[in-house]
Amino acid sequence: MTTATGYSAEVRRRCQCLDRAGSWPESDPRVGTGVVGSLDVGTMVRLQVRLAADADRIEDARFKVFGCSAAIASASLAADRLSGATLAVAVGLDSADLATTLDLPDDKRAMAAQAVTAARAAIGDACRKAGRAVALPGNREIR
Amino acid sequence: MTVSRPVYLDFHATTPVDPRVLQAMLPYFNHLFGNASSRQHRFGWQADEAVERARHQVATLIGAKAKEIVFTSGATEANNLAIRGAVAARRDRGNHVVTVATEHHAVLDTCKALERDGCRVTVLPVERDGLVDPERFAAALADDIVLASVMAANNEIGVLQPIAALSRACRARGVWLHTDAVQAVGRVPVDVEALGVDLASLTAHKLYGPKGAGALYVRRASKVELTPLFAGGGQERGIRPGTLNVPGIVGFGAAAELCGQELPAEGPRVAALRDRLLAALQAGLDAVTVNGSLSARLPQNLHVSFAGVDGEALMTGLADDVAASSGSACASGSREPSHVVKALGLGAAEQWGAVRFGLGRTTTDDEVTFAAERVVALVQRLRALSPVEVGRT
Repeated sequence: MTTATGYSAEVRRRCQCLDRAGSWPESDPRVGTGVVGSLDVGTMVRLQVRLAADADRIEDARFKVFGCSAAIASASLAADRLSGATLAVAVGLDSADLATTLDLPDDKRAMAAQAVTAARAAIGDACRKAGRAVALPGNREIR
Repeated sequence: MTVSRPVYLDFHATTPVDPRVLQAMLPYFNHLFGNASSRQHRFGWQADEAVERARHQVATLIGAKAKEIVFTSGATEANNLAIRGAVAARRDRGNHVVTVATEHHAVLDTCKALERDGCRVTVLPVERDGLVDPERFAAALADDIVLASVMAANNEIGVLQPIAALSRACRARGVWLHTDAVQAVGRVPVDVEALGVDLASLTAHKLYGPKGAGALYVRRASKVELTPLFAGGGQERGIRPGTLNVPGIVGFGAAAELCGQELPAEGPRVAALRDRLLAALQAGLDAVTVNGSLSARLPQNLHVSFAGVDGEALMTGLADDVAASSGSACASGSREPSHVVKALGLGAAEQWGAVRFGLGRTTTDDEVTFAAERVVALVQRLRALSPVEVGRT
């Protein structure tokens, strides 16, 4: 249900409860980092994933975000979805699914897409560090 | 400390109807329901008397004569009537209008519409403090300019433009000067004679009156004659035909009279609260900057930037505690800071982090304390969340 702020209760809940907010050192060999956007355009999302020892699964994820509540909630939900996911599931992270889960207004659905782009960049970075091939939707295979 | 949440600090958007104003309006919804244009019976006479009393009350607040007040549906209509009406009436002189980059959309979009119809429009920039440079303004007054439109107080950053200096330049060149005085009237003393304006837009709902009632001041001594926007029944001397909104106009008059009475005490009281809010924010946070001149500003206004924080996210996070306003808008993933903030030439971090607090008649000391605490706590949280470091933006 959308509230008087124009956002759903889920967006507002995620803006209050920032369980996976934070960052890890980019130099960590198991950590992949994806950054999308910039201060100039008004939204910047930084997502990080840490691979499990077998490099088959994402052990945990962290996010930092500058932007509107839709951007914050999208990054938060993306981090939750990535955490514990196998790589096969993680690469299928879908912006339409995030936007629907958050009940984003039409003019805010692009924020979910940004979170997914950052997530894929982070997965790609982590896999490159681990020397593991992964096929990302819309991208060439990253090795 | 007891406050009713959320604390309302958005008095520039609108104000609550003062209970005394509401009481004055109520009879005109039912047993004094006459049409002010009905000249042949008591019902009409009573309504007409009420309208003329309100016209006098509104005129008194701005130092005008009652006959110089034309009632409208609000400020947007008043701005359209002033600008379109003046341009249409002065076609023989030229078709060039000058205005300012930080005007309200009711002015800027009206000018854009005129531009599409072949009118020339010059939009002047503001200085870093949000003010128009009178010399730059005077230099822009070309021979074909028929009208200048400069707001008295800005609706976002609250700065007070040097209208008296601008009007002297306009008089010297035979240019009519319109001012959108919506935010100024009722908040600071406004005397249209001292300001020297030819046209001024007003609205009731910014000064504790009802929505749907506004007015345009039309200076008689300047022999300003406007071409009406509408054709109709000849009300308001034919300048604004249409059945008068008697309850709204009565409320506008009552609200204007109360503002006139209370302004001398209210101005310093709310200025002290505003200054305390700013001090509390700056004591609790780094990188809080005031946008626009602090000295030439409405006492009710505080417009600040919290660098590294998105104003919209701040407002959403504060929704249960504080009602204020950020100027940025977001559409289809393309985000835009407000045109006013952009015109100030701020850096990106300050543009996105801009927030307007508008204090008013009901704002209390406890509310300011509570609001400052909540804002400080949330800005700290959002900054911790941000990948953009404050101080390195």
